[in-house]
Amino acid sequence: MTEQKPLLEARRVFKGFFGNPVLKGVDIALHPGRVHALLGENGAGKSTLINLLSGALQPDSGTISVDGKPVGRFSPAGARAAGIAVVQQELSLTADLSIAENIGLGAFPRRFGLIDYRALHRGVRDVCDMVGLTEPLDMPVADLALGRRQMVEIAKALFRKPRVLILDEPTSSLSAHEAGILARLIGTLRDRGTALLYISHRLNEVQALCAHVTVLKDGGVTADQSLAGIDGEGLVRLMVGRETGDLFPPRPAANPGATRISVENFSAGLVRDIGFSARAGEIVGIGGLVGQGQEDLLLGLYGAIPAKASKAEVSGKGALPAHVGEANAAGIVYVPADRKHEGLVLPHSIASNLILPSLGRLARGGFRDRGAEAGLIADLARRLTIKGDVARAVQALSGGNQQKVALAKWLPLDPSVLLLNDPTRGVDIETKREIYLMLRAFAAEGRLVILASSDTPELVHLCDRVVVLREGRVAASLSGAAISEEAIVGAAMGINTQGAAA
Amino acid sequence: MSAVSSSGWLYGAIQRRRNRSLGGLYLVVAAFLILYAVLFPGILSVGGFSKFTQNWFPLALVTMAQALLMLNGGITLAIGPLVSLGAVIAATTMGTALGVPGGILAVAFVGLAIGAVTGAIVAHLRLPAIIVTLAGSFIITGVALILLPRPGGFIPDWLSITLAGHTPVAFLLLVVIVLAWKAFLATPLGLGIYAAGDNPIGAFRSGVPVEQVKIVAFALSSLLAALAGLFVAAQTGSGDPVIGTPFTLNSIAAAVLGGVGFLGGKGTMRGAICGSLLLSVMINVMFFLGFPPVAQYIAQGLIIVGAVAVPELLAKGRARR
Repeated sequence: MTEQKPLLEARRVFKGFFGNPVLKGVDIALHPGRVHALLGENGAGKSTLINLLSGALQPDSGTISVDGKPVGRFSPAGARAAGIAVVQQELSLTADLSIAENIGLGAFPRRFGLIDYRALHRGVRDVCDMVGLTEPLDMPVADLALGRRQMVEIAKALFRKPRVLILDEPTSSLSAHEAGILARLIGTLRDRGTALLYISHRLNEVQALCAHVTVLKDGGVTADQSLAGIDGEGLVRLMVGRETGDLFPPRPAANPGATRISVENFSAGLVRDIGFSARAGEIVGIGGLVGQGQEDLLLGLYGAIPAKASKAEVSGKGALPAHVGEANAAGIVYVPADRKHEGLVLPHSIASNLILPSLGRLARGGFRDRGAEAGLIADLARRLTIKGDVARAVQALSGGNQQKVALAKWLPLDPSVLLLNDPTRGVDIETKREIYLMLRAFAAEGRLVILASSDTPELVHLCDRVVVLREGRVAASLSGAAISEEAIVGAAMGINTQGAAA
Repeated sequence: MSAVSSSGWLYGAIQRRRNRSLGGLYLVVAAFLILYAVLFPGILSVGGFSKFTQNWFPLALVTMAQALLMLNGGITLAIGPLVSLGAVIAATTMGTALGVPGGILAVAFVGLAIGAVTGAIVAHLRLPAIIVTLAGSFIITGVALILLPRPGGFIPDWLSITLAGHTPVAFLLLVVIVLAWKAFLATPLGLGIYAAGDNPIGAFRSGVPVEQVKIVAFALSSLLAALAGLFVAAQTGSGDPVIGTPFTLNSIAAAVLGGVGFLGGKGTMRGAICGSLLLSVMINVMFFLGFPPVAQYIAQGLIIVGAVAVPELLAKGRARR
């Protein structure tokens, strides 16, 4: 069966953004009548590969072939003409338009140049029956729950009668019932000869549905093989393991100080009813798949989103901070993941970004004290090895150096708790090393560092303890020798390995 | 399912649902119209109705022009200058060899061309529409003042009488334009205006030619504004290079009153047209009630803020419960 010619194939494709390579020579071949799994951690390049395969992006080099013939410039319209449809993870729906209009969008049946609403109705009715959408077709998508919108997205892809169907995390918002419908549908399409590419973090689905797997890691393919005879732990093994070299500073013997944070039945945003505690001098990692409540845990502790707990002790106070000002006063600072939007004022200089949180403290009689500011800036630049002119705009710096500025600006407040949200995302290796050293030094000074990270090696090799969140709850709490990539990835994906609930 | 066999069931159902969400607005407009008829029963005669719709007509056109772009996720500050330019071109061409048909074509061509160029700049250079149209508004005003430095020009009397006399020609024209819009919205390109406004990336990935849609939206919007200018010239019997100025902000106000959102894809054209009718009636009612002009401005502002804030507060109240 796999001897057949691939329907859609990528060969040696490279793609980078702003000089940052994301895909480094990736091969993948989708065959008719086969469900192909694409696995990889966050940031491995899966979304970029899908965008190349569906014409939303162009490769820097390498070829995309349909039916063995290389396509030149590929556009979404061209991909659709070639029979390629994608169920996007970020929905492509228009909220105010009806279910039917959304499904037909970009592929409307026409009559005299107008949309043929009767033909549309027939076609849409068929695909809605296939996915079990019983809502009135004239209903605006805005009135549907997220899971039902996902089913509309799937129906929209089916409406295009695809020969190649790419499904990017289609089940993340579906109920068990809906996921079952989708699984049966995938079987039907496969038997009809459709080539399917299935991206999911749910390894049990991958096992149940897929015959072949490609694993991406850091923009390269690390496995491309049949799934026959591979179990859940085998899949986890395929996904982990990488040379770490001397990227991480040595971990000192555990010597934690007094408890800085302790909460029970803590809920905030996606986080439901968890217990969590951390002590001075620790680096505590928060792991898990994207959007399992990591950010909400940090924001809740920071007082930036509403949070509640049956018992709380935060930085010596017997309650959660009610707002950000209170958290700052208690020595808690937060460095956001989206440094470009939330962490920095991009067009302003390094110097003005560095002193922003200290302006009030340094002012004398309501006016800024330029002398004191200059001293502080020089001191911070030296401590953070920020090289060159501090009058440069922050946006001219590399991602890594921007991150250093976003971190450094809090140091004059002498924080006792640092909440960091994915501080090394999009940061080069050299700067990563510097940031790791810095975080280790903070811990050695008796500060508490809580680090949410999408980078598993960082959790394993940098952190003293790791808490893995899954669907807003603690899936595993690991420390010491129990911290391993296998344990973290397994817990994040809901596969039981050793070390859970330590 | 019987619904499948009946002709165009889906289309009708979608339209009915859009009307239902505007029920509140329809009621408010109806209430104001009744109040107006009570205060000024003349509206019920053919002449009164004609005059009333002639006052409303240019505002309706510029509101459509504005809503077209707001639905597409943009905005335009060049409406007023385009109205002026349309009036000036009409008044400077109709007395020449081009005559009335040539003058109308000239106005339409200039409107379409300016819009297409503006749209191409916004779409291909990815510049914010508000800045590009702000720059455009200065340039267009300049051109209008060069063509006709002070009010004047020539509009044949018969044209003024036809468009702005004692017959409801303006109303009939509006009906034609609305029908044309409905036909446009039933094309894939027309519906693309909504899709590209609400979720441009999703629309692009679905195969909607997002940039082409934007250029068409700008071209049609400018065409409507320029035609509004032609009508104003016929109404006043001459061209005036700054006559359109108040239309820029009034078009935004009317679209917002009609429930068109600022973030794209939210709202309906029928809502925007109702919004322009509401604004037009409110201005007339305040005039007949003897409000001083200053009070009219303030009341207008308060009503617009209220129109935006009330649904928001209602939604918040519902969410809390």
